[in-house]
Amino acid sequence: MPDMNSLAHPQQHQFNPYTENGGTILAIAGEDFTVIAGDTRQSEGYSIQTRYAPKVFRLTDKAVLAVNGFAADGNMFVKKVRQRLEWYRHAHAKDMPLRAIARLIQTMLYARRFFPFYVYNILGGIEEDGSGAVYSFDPVGSYEREACRAAGAAQSLVQPFLDNQIYFKNQTPAQDTSHPVHLPLHSVLALVIDSFTGATERHIEVGDGLEMYVVLARGNPALQSLQDLPGAEEVTGTQAEERVFVIRRDLKKD
Amino acid sequence: MFLTRSEYDRGVNTFSPEGRLFQVEYAIEAIKLGSTAIGIRTPEGVVLAVEKRVQSPLLEASSIEKIMEIDGHLGCAMSGLTADARTMIDHARVTAQNHRFTFDEAIKVESATQAVCDLALRFGESVHDEEAMMSRPFGVALLIAGIDEIGPQLYHTDPSGTFTRYDAKAIGSGSEAAQSELQDKWHKQITLKEAQVLTLRVLKQVMEEKLDQHNVQLAQVTPTGFEILDETKLQEVIEAM
Amino acid sequence: MNSLAQRFSTTSPLAHFRKIQRLADEDEDVSDAAWGSQAGFGSLTKGVPTFTVPNLPDPTAFLRLHTDDHADPNCRIKIQHGTTTLAFRFQGGVIVAVDSRATAGSYVASGTVKKVIEINPYLLGTMAGGAADCQYWETYLGIHCRLHELRNRERISVSAASKYLSNLVYGYKGMGLSMGTMICGWDKTGPTIFYVDSDGTRLKGDLFSVGSGSTFAYGVLDQGYRWDLTDEEAQELGRRSIYAAGHRDAFSGNTCNLYHVKEDGWRFIGNFDISKMHYEGPGDVPGAPGGGYGYALRVEGKSSANPPVAEAAA
Repeated sequence: MPDMNSLAHPQQHQFNPYTENGGTILAIAGEDFTVIAGDTRQSEGYSIQTRYAPKVFRLTDKAVLAVNGFAADGNMFVKKVRQRLEWYRHAHAKDMPLRAIARLIQTMLYARRFFPFYVYNILGGIEEDGSGAVYSFDPVGSYEREACRAAGAAQSLVQPFLDNQIYFKNQTPAQDTSHPVHLPLHSVLALVIDSFTGATERHIEVGDGLEMYVVLARGNPALQSLQDLPGAEEVTGTQAEERVFVIRRDLKKD
Repeated sequence: MFLTRSEYDRGVNTFSPEGRLFQVEYAIEAIKLGSTAIGIRTPEGVVLAVEKRVQSPLLEASSIEKIMEIDGHLGCAMSGLTADARTMIDHARVTAQNHRFTFDEAIKVESATQAVCDLALRFGESVHDEEAMMSRPFGVALLIAGIDEIGPQLYHTDPSGTFTRYDAKAIGSGSEAAQSELQDKWHKQITLKEAQVLTLRVLKQVMEEKLDQHNVQLAQVTPTGFEILDETKLQEVIEAM
Repeated sequence: MNSLAQRFSTTSPLAHFRKIQRLADEDEDVSDAAWGSQAGFGSLTKGVPTFTVPNLPDPTAFLRLHTDDHADPNCRIKIQHGTTTLAFRFQGGVIVAVDSRATAGSYVASGTVKKVIEINPYLLGTMAGGAADCQYWETYLGIHCRLHELRNRERISVSAASKYLSNLVYGYKGMGLSMGTMICGWDKTGPTIFYVDSDGTRLKGDLFSVGSGSTFAYGVLDQGYRWDLTDEEAQELGRRSIYAAGHRDAFSGNTCNLYHVKEDGWRFIGNFDISKMHYEGPGDVPGAPGGGYGYALRVEGKSSANPPVAEAAA
């Protein structure tokens, strides 16, 4: 016979379906390209679960989605977005434009307003007018188009760096010069690599590998240099005019 | 023949042994009783025109509404049981707005047409043991005009839920004569102005009454959007005839 | 026991949740949305959006536990908060001015937020509270205003639009929505402002300010407000009030977005950097007095913190 007293003790249960898997993502829009990047480390607490868990996903030939936060929610969310993109393709006989994907993501996130996906999304790609674009989201779907955005564990380390290097915040141009409105692809790639090596140095949840997706608008002159870049792999899906490349780099593994 | 028919022409859920759905066919017949409506696609946009049957001098002609706006880039002309068209057009409007809400873009003309036809096909259907929402097929045909990234388009829908794309199409009581006239006169380079005049000319031929600015309605969808021509603009087109 | 009773009650707010949840479950995964033209039309095809709710005795507590950063600064899901927004009516229309800062905890999540939501060419909504709540529901309001226009061949009144929004969010009362908004526009009755929030409050008025910085904005606004302000004076008052809030409220700042609603619809006046307004002023715009808003210039060489040169030398 079990002790009735011990059973009578109040018991409290908490429903906690979330965990935090670390890592960082970022995206930068150029005039006719967008770079979307993320590290590949996945951790829980102080232990590293895997050194290669992609956080950046090609959705279409002009849209790439980076997902950070709780990996299980993130992977499921990407799956559901892809499913909706497929349905749209069948219903409307075209690929979903970038700004339509952005709005779709808002409605999908907000549909879980009372049981949120614990994910921070950054969507990057090429708009219908051929310009590079970045959309950033909060977990319940508020969104905004920006030129650059970092999210995840090292957001507070990377974003100030980008503010300074992309938006030229707190920089005064030299006499008779002005800051460029758009940076060329090679400078952006260099900034992305610097952001992640820096974040790897100072944040324990960032490291192992770096995946940079580059989406080029049709007729982008940087195409040739990207094709010649060692380690750059083309992942364009169809014969679309936009081209998607992924560049992989190692980050420190300690 | 009549006997075989009467056994199968009541339910909307039963095919006849020859593979026909008589109620749907009767619904298509109902359109041939309706007033004539014409649509013409041009490279600049789409023109829609309808005749209004002003049966009594006491009838307020402006209260007859046979061309309606679905969204800024979509318009619609109807013939047949126009009351049924309200349901369909409201469905199209809601679908178009939902599309804007979910995708932040205007719905494609074909997708909007498809949505209307999906509704047209739901006669006699009951879901989840609920009462059937419709008891019979719609008795109306629509000409849906619109502009999207593909360009100006004109679609025709009928009660069977079938939709077809046309360069020029006439529906309603005068449709047969009107359609052959359109076939003669339509050409690839037709301008919007020419199309406006052509629709009225064709209408004039099939109308019983004398055509004036009170018994026809003219509308167009151009890159600037959907517009029902007001009386002064209509008068100008009539004068140009 | 209490929770058990609640679980099977049909009148509690919880029952309401379950109703919504049942609806959501039916729609999930294998829905009409997968087929035909409805494909990809979102959770809205049947008119009212449906939401997934966790299957728990108290889903609201769950949401609070994980998202409410006032209750727990260490909660995981940080929803963007913090704002100053204002709108006032005057002889020349409606002025709407807002800041552009979004904070998640103490982190400045963004300095470029658009807190004025352009519902349609005649209606503006402001954003305070949950960014997503405002963005989503005001966009949703926008499509319903458009449907009203198509069905009635007449623009919706500001009163009707605000009531629609108010009724909408009242349906989710107690479920954790957070939004304080002003619906501003010009209809048959002239310039109009309605304040609507997620508690269900709906107020008509001449002058409102909402958000953590509202007290500071009210200070400047109340002092300078008159019905017969000129357009330029009114725009300057809106700008100056947001500057004051950006200056004194840590959760507000970055830039000010200014809108003016007139009879023919709203017009975007401009985006003004709050730091720049402090030191240099808003620039060469109508109504600006010239020079910065900050008082450092006015007290230079006169106060103890900024003593006269002679005194400092002594």
